[in-house]
Amino acid sequence: MATGIIKVAPPPEDKNLFQLAYGYASTIFSGMWKTLTIFVNQITGREKTNTLEWPEQPATYSDRFKGKHFLTRRDDGQVRCTACFLCATACPAECIHIVAGQHPTNEIEKFPIRFEIDILRCVFCGFCEEACPVDAIRLGPEYAMAGAAGDNWVYTKDYLADRGQLHGGVVSVKDENTKHFTVDHNPHGDDLLATDAPHMRHH
Amino acid sequence: MSTETVTFNLNDRDITVPKGTTVMEAAHKHDVYIPHFCWHPGLSIAGVCRFCLVKVDNRPKLEIACNLQATPGMKVSTLLPEVKEAHKWALEFHLVNHPLDCPICDQAGECKLQDFYMEVGKYKSEMDRPKVLKPKALDVGSDLVLDTERCILCDRCVRFEQEVTKTGALGIFNRGDRAVVGTYPDKKIEHNYQDNLVDICPVGAFTSRDFRFKQRVWFLKDQPAVCPGCSTGCHVKVYAKPQVRTYFRVKPQESEVNGHWMCDVGRKTYKHLNQDQRLRFAVAEDGKGGRKRVSVAEAIASLAVQLRGVSASDIALLVSPQYTCEEYDALFSFFVKKLGVSKVFQWREPTESLDAFDGLLYRGDHNPNTLGLSEALAKVGLAKEVKNGFDDLARSGAKVVVALAPEIEFQFPSLPAQLQKLSELAFVSVWATAGSAYNVKGLRHLVPLKGFAEKKGTFRNFQGKVGELSKPFPAAVDEAKDVVEVVTALAEVWAHA
Amino acid sequence: MAEQKPKIILQTEGLPDQHSLKTYVEKVNGYTAVRKVLGGMSREQVIEEVKQAGLRGRGGAGFLTGLKWSFVPKDITGPKYLICNNDESEPGTFKDRYLCITNPHQVIEGMVIAAYAIGANKGYIYTRWEYQEEIGYLENAIKEAYAAGLLGKNLFGSGFDFDLDHYTGAGAYICGEETGLISSLEGKKGQPKVKPPFPAVSGYLGRPTIVNNTETLANVPWIINNGAKAFRQFGTEKSPGTKLFSISGALNKPGVYEVPLGYPFASLLNIEAGGMQAGRTLKALIPGGASAPVLTPAECEGLTMDFEAMAQRNTMLGSGAVMVIDDRQSLAELLKVTIEFFAHESCGQCTPCREGTGWLNNIMDGIMERSAKPDNIERLRTVARNMGGKTICALSDACAMPVMSYVQKFSGELQAYLAAGSGGHSK
Repeated sequence: MATGIIKVAPPPEDKNLFQLAYGYASTIFSGMWKTLTIFVNQITGREKTNTLEWPEQPATYSDRFKGKHFLTRRDDGQVRCTACFLCATACPAECIHIVAGQHPTNEIEKFPIRFEIDILRCVFCGFCEEACPVDAIRLGPEYAMAGAAGDNWVYTKDYLADRGQLHGGVVSVKDENTKHFTVDHNPHGDDLLATDAPHMRHH
Repeated sequence: MSTETVTFNLNDRDITVPKGTTVMEAAHKHDVYIPHFCWHPGLSIAGVCRFCLVKVDNRPKLEIACNLQATPGMKVSTLLPEVKEAHKWALEFHLVNHPLDCPICDQAGECKLQDFYMEVGKYKSEMDRPKVLKPKALDVGSDLVLDTERCILCDRCVRFEQEVTKTGALGIFNRGDRAVVGTYPDKKIEHNYQDNLVDICPVGAFTSRDFRFKQRVWFLKDQPAVCPGCSTGCHVKVYAKPQVRTYFRVKPQESEVNGHWMCDVGRKTYKHLNQDQRLRFAVAEDGKGGRKRVSVAEAIASLAVQLRGVSASDIALLVSPQYTCEEYDALFSFFVKKLGVSKVFQWREPTESLDAFDGLLYRGDHNPNTLGLSEALAKVGLAKEVKNGFDDLARSGAKVVVALAPEIEFQFPSLPAQLQKLSELAFVSVWATAGSAYNVKGLRHLVPLKGFAEKKGTFRNFQGKVGELSKPFPAAVDEAKDVVEVVTALAEVWAHA
Repeated sequence: MAEQKPKIILQTEGLPDQHSLKTYVEKVNGYTAVRKVLGGMSREQVIEEVKQAGLRGRGGAGFLTGLKWSFVPKDITGPKYLICNNDESEPGTFKDRYLCITNPHQVIEGMVIAAYAIGANKGYIYTRWEYQEEIGYLENAIKEAYAAGLLGKNLFGSGFDFDLDHYTGAGAYICGEETGLISSLEGKKGQPKVKPPFPAVSGYLGRPTIVNNTETLANVPWIINNGAKAFRQFGTEKSPGTKLFSISGALNKPGVYEVPLGYPFASLLNIEAGGMQAGRTLKALIPGGASAPVLTPAECEGLTMDFEAMAQRNTMLGSGAVMVIDDRQSLAELLKVTIEFFAHESCGQCTPCREGTGWLNNIMDGIMERSAKPDNIERLRTVARNMGGKTICALSDACAMPVMSYVQKFSGELQAYLAAGSGGHSK
């Protein structure tokens, strides 16, 4: 008797035709019975389905969900973005295209004339949000982005900062007084996980 | 005459240098990097940034390497912990009042403060008080923007103005941490070497207005080239973003010909290479008196047909001295040697003053290869017969003219008129980089050419020195070819017809 | 009654018309030393005499004067310059101005001798602009000297020419630094120059230049007249001779006093200066101007006024500006004023000083506003420690050393100013 060999199943016995047919039929029948009972239970409301009846019922994701991008605003309504190109550099899909320009006021100095995201190339990794030093771009909770072939798949600055769902725009949380920072602040500490950024909910 | 030398020890390496060399110069030549801001090989010693501190023998205080003459047997170290600690604090002091402008500053990516921050390693600043504020984004010259808050007062720009251009237009005003660099009241910088200030400024205090906000420098690739703006032939680097086929700027490269500098005129020599300025496709006659877009091969074929239809004495060449020696050799070996053409004319600007010289680098001959052209002509025995000017061309009675247009248009005010004149000839084939050739409706045979940064070749400057175009970018325009390629294809067609 | 103190420098003090040429010549053997020098001494002999006397610079650095003179290259042609550094800007120092009013001719005579020693035919007295009255005395003295043939061409028939001009500064402390002074004299911004090359080799207009303090030059005639050995009778072995001390504070008789080096501080305080005013006690002592580290009363026990004793206590004799701080004075305020001075006066050339003095001032502002945290006080020390030893001139060290001494010895006073609730307590 060889050691270490575990007998798992009895050797297949020879079965006659009736036994084989019974085997197939019984398993088919029990599967179908399962389907039927669940179907009847759920359709009569005795059992709750996992199906979410979207769009009448909203699907909600966690606070950290990475959906459609939006550009934040300053207190006076202008985009927070200073066209530093860090998001364009960090983007692994190279889908962010920015044209920078001279701002009329010297306090701001640089701003994006054009800020475009080719959303078909975007992989929603969120690197742009992480790279931005001034909290100008965030990936929000909107996930319904399907469209038709002829649609515009390049999101422009106005769309990113100003579309209807943003309800007037989101103000950046970055302290505008960038000339003053305290030594105690640890940029690589636990702050990264916590967020008190305001969110928008779809609908 | 023997130059005395001195041997000293730098970081456990014995180095021999001519007597009087400073430790900084010695390190620069022997690829030992000593961090510094205010020292520049083309300017006098200032010794103000106090960054290049090194440990010498057993002296108690650290010394600055830029003002330290090498003496025999001296032992210098840049790697001791004491030296590294000194570098950390030198960086800390530089950053104490420096604004957090990196996102909006053009110098990001090539900024010495950023570079040292990563190298020197004092990552946590101890400054937690309000910083000193100074005027920003000032207009101080036709191509300069000055941000006095970013300035680290290294004094390079002041010394440049005093020593190189001898205009003294910059000074440092006020004392202590209120010190600001600036021009004298109501005065601006108005010479032809402004962008060198942008080059030497280690931070984003002086930035180029032309390049302002156009592109982040880490997206740019640079290749060495020779400036085609004038016969000095400064060695340069051309910066482009090849993925979008766009050129952004030209900067000087240190060489014997131009030292560390170049003039502002040469800085504009990237603009004509961009697609919006280019001739983008070949054009040939459509048989109905007009013209149509064709492939380069078709254009060459139709040119061959024209050339066959006349004798050698009816063919003339009009050549601009802006092409490379190799291109001239190819051109003349086909047309002059093979076809027997003897009518060759130079395409020059009638209003040029060849003796003009601004005292530093920019010369009146606005062509990079005048000497190369004369040599190429001499090689095929034509030097004496070359005439300049369109009038001579008109008088020559040529029926088929092949014209190689000047690449750099902005120095050719007569160009539009000249192109118009050309269009009145019987048959002219204009080979050009510039799109303005297309705008003259009467020019019905055009071949697009590559710009200077897109081809290999050599120029000969006014002294005969060879300047090499060795690392071309891919052409910004798909159809563009260089003259060697065009002539080779033409010769092929000629041989097989 | 105090024993008669030696008068080497202030020889005409107290005499009627003390500043005039007449008094100087008739009463105190004025202009005999220069006659002796030009009458037969060689340059080397003059330098040797001053070297033997061990005269040290009286402007603050205390460098051996004779040694400094010997750095001037001897065998070169072309002009050389002698400059008298009368830009007395170290806070607390007012001895040179007193000298200019009392005995200007001794300075001039000293300059002629020094110029002869180094081979200079042109001299300048550089006085700070604020000393308008003193400038008047000096210019008057120069005029008297020229009129009497004591300045100008072929002095005493010796063939030696010496022209002396007065030049006024424009209000910068940094112009008291020798190369800063030279830059100012050249008409440029008064910013110190990188050394090497040293002024003795390449100074004013690129020529060999010696810059000496007013008081130092005033010692020279007496040394020539009486000899190096006589000079060494006074003072200590390493710090021979006498020194002018400008002592100030809540004293009964503040002023300028000439005492031998090595004189006990207690005597200077109680005898010459008449002791502290009624009801006042000594809280701290600044022995050598604002750039000298501060001393506690305990450290003043047995203190003598000479270079070595000061160095032993990690401070400096400096310019001899003795500032007696009494118990009324808040040391935090004193530190603030000191730092503010240096931040204001930094020329701004080199980064550690420019940014460091500004930063110290900034931190001090935070402390004075009571908005600072405890680590700010320690930061004063860190910044000061890293400012020193790395700059073109010593202003950075002049700011850093006192700051470190205040934080080390009087941090309690600074703690009182910290933000409420951060470990400090209100005063």
